[in-house]
Amino acid sequence: MTPEELSQARITPEGEAPAIVLPKGLRRVPRGVDELATEHLIVNMGPQHPSTHGVLHILLELDGEEIIAAEASLGYLHRGIEKLAEHRRYSAVGTLLDRADYISGIHTELALAQATEQLMGIEVPEKAQWLRSLFSEIVRIASHLIAIGTYGMDIGAMAPFLYIMREREALLSVLESVTGARMMFNYVRPGGVLRDLTPEAEPLLRQFLKTFPGYLEEYHTLLTGNEIFQARVKGVGVIDRATAIAFGMSGPPLRASGFGWDVRKERPYAAYEQLRFDVPVGESGDCWDRYLVRMEEMRIAAELIEQCLDGMPEGDVMAKVPKVLKPPAGEAYSAVESPRGEVGIHLVSDGTDTPYRVHLRAPSLMNLAVVDEVMPGHKIADSVAIIGSLDIVLGEIDR
Amino acid sequence: MSSAALSSALSAAGVPAEVSEEAIGAVARVPASDLVEALTALRDADCAFAMLIDLFGVDTGEQLELTYHLRSFARDEDAYVRVAAPYDGEVPSAWRVYPSALYPEREAAELFGLTFPGHPNLKRLLTTDEVELPLLRRSTAIRTQEEVHDR
Repeated sequence: MTPEELSQARITPEGEAPAIVLPKGLRRVPRGVDELATEHLIVNMGPQHPSTHGVLHILLELDGEEIIAAEASLGYLHRGIEKLAEHRRYSAVGTLLDRADYISGIHTELALAQATEQLMGIEVPEKAQWLRSLFSEIVRIASHLIAIGTYGMDIGAMAPFLYIMREREALLSVLESVTGARMMFNYVRPGGVLRDLTPEAEPLLRQFLKTFPGYLEEYHTLLTGNEIFQARVKGVGVIDRATAIAFGMSGPPLRASGFGWDVRKERPYAAYEQLRFDVPVGESGDCWDRYLVRMEEMRIAAELIEQCLDGMPEGDVMAKVPKVLKPPAGEAYSAVESPRGEVGIHLVSDGTDTPYRVHLRAPSLMNLAVVDEVMPGHKIADSVAIIGSLDIVLGEIDR
Repeated sequence: MSSAALSSALSAAGVPAEVSEEAIGAVARVPASDLVEALTALRDADCAFAMLIDLFGVDTGEQLELTYHLRSFARDEDAYVRVAAPYDGEVPSAWRVYPSALYPEREAAELFGLTFPGHPNLKRLLTTDEVELPLLRRSTAIRTQEEVHDR
């Protein structure tokens, strides 16, 4: 077409398009062929995708933008923790389990310590129980902060992540001063805890408690009140109550679906029986509810930290336990409410100094199973919102 | 308390079960062939074990034992259903009763060398095909440091 012909081909102001003269060799597609021929596309999301929170690999079958089927493919972080635990003494298994859920190792340690104590019939000193609750809640806030911050990043809100790191740093310095480590604590041992609070820990925590409510408001301004964030999470990834129970979910995802089961309330351990706290529950079970439940849990955890500091009894932090632990033959199950859900340790002893079998009930694994069920029907961008809202840790899933 | 509810629910469904009260709670031992009926009965009976919390295997040295950890919110209790299976044996899949069995069954299948007839997707969950031995059996030894170095 010459430029003159092209200019004539423009739509006239009256709205009528003059017939376009096609160049030689081109023919118009026959009329009546309106349907587009589409093909399903398999997309590998992960294991190196920035928003899969580790090395999660999800196979997505797509029809255009829509997810037809999803299948999680796991095992990239499998280290054989359960097998290795059968070859170590009881006191050394905690270090392995720290590395299962590496964001909140203290809860897995605690579950193991409680299972060992059940088998051996060890009475834990009261102060150790309070310290266990205190550090559980400190780590819960640190873990939820990561969950909220990275969730914002997944959705496209960069700023909250930078702020949550500031508060997390304050908590990590407390953990470092008491346990000596920032992530892999090995602080909770069968019989009690490693050591008492250091002199600088309590002022640091009190300072944190003073500033944290204001910071929480900041996140609400930055993220909760963000219209784009709301549009991405509201009504997305709805898991109803029946599905959540059928898939064995626990923790904030279960509570967001309207089922207020919390191990701390229903099967109190450590000092939770003496502590007063509410269990936040969602309504619709979408990503928005899961996010709000975590925000609320952080506020409640800060209150629990204060209660623990105020009510901390005096006394020993460690019971008298033998150097080499040899629980009598038997079985024990101990559950702990971790930031991800119910962490359980099934411990089987044969009377020797190494466990016969250690099974870790990983809440992330059970929570992840629902992905295959929930994702179909959503757009591909929602898959990121759904995975992020479940807050999984791959170290725990793959073990 | 719990073991009585367990045995009455199982006997009402006609499942032969050996119920005992153990340190971890009420444990019902059922034959593998009756597993699905037993779980269905426990889920639907008055005791309403609505959730399968966990499923894991133990190698006793003579055979494999699978433990199904159930929770009833109505009774606020946990109970266990235990099934024995020979090495490389078969246990019917429980996923139609409890969808939460899907992943743990895949895990047990690869780490203990079992098959779960009826499972829709019994692929390996954690390890690759190069791993031939069922890793969590007692007979599978882990390599010592020297062996790894000599390799």
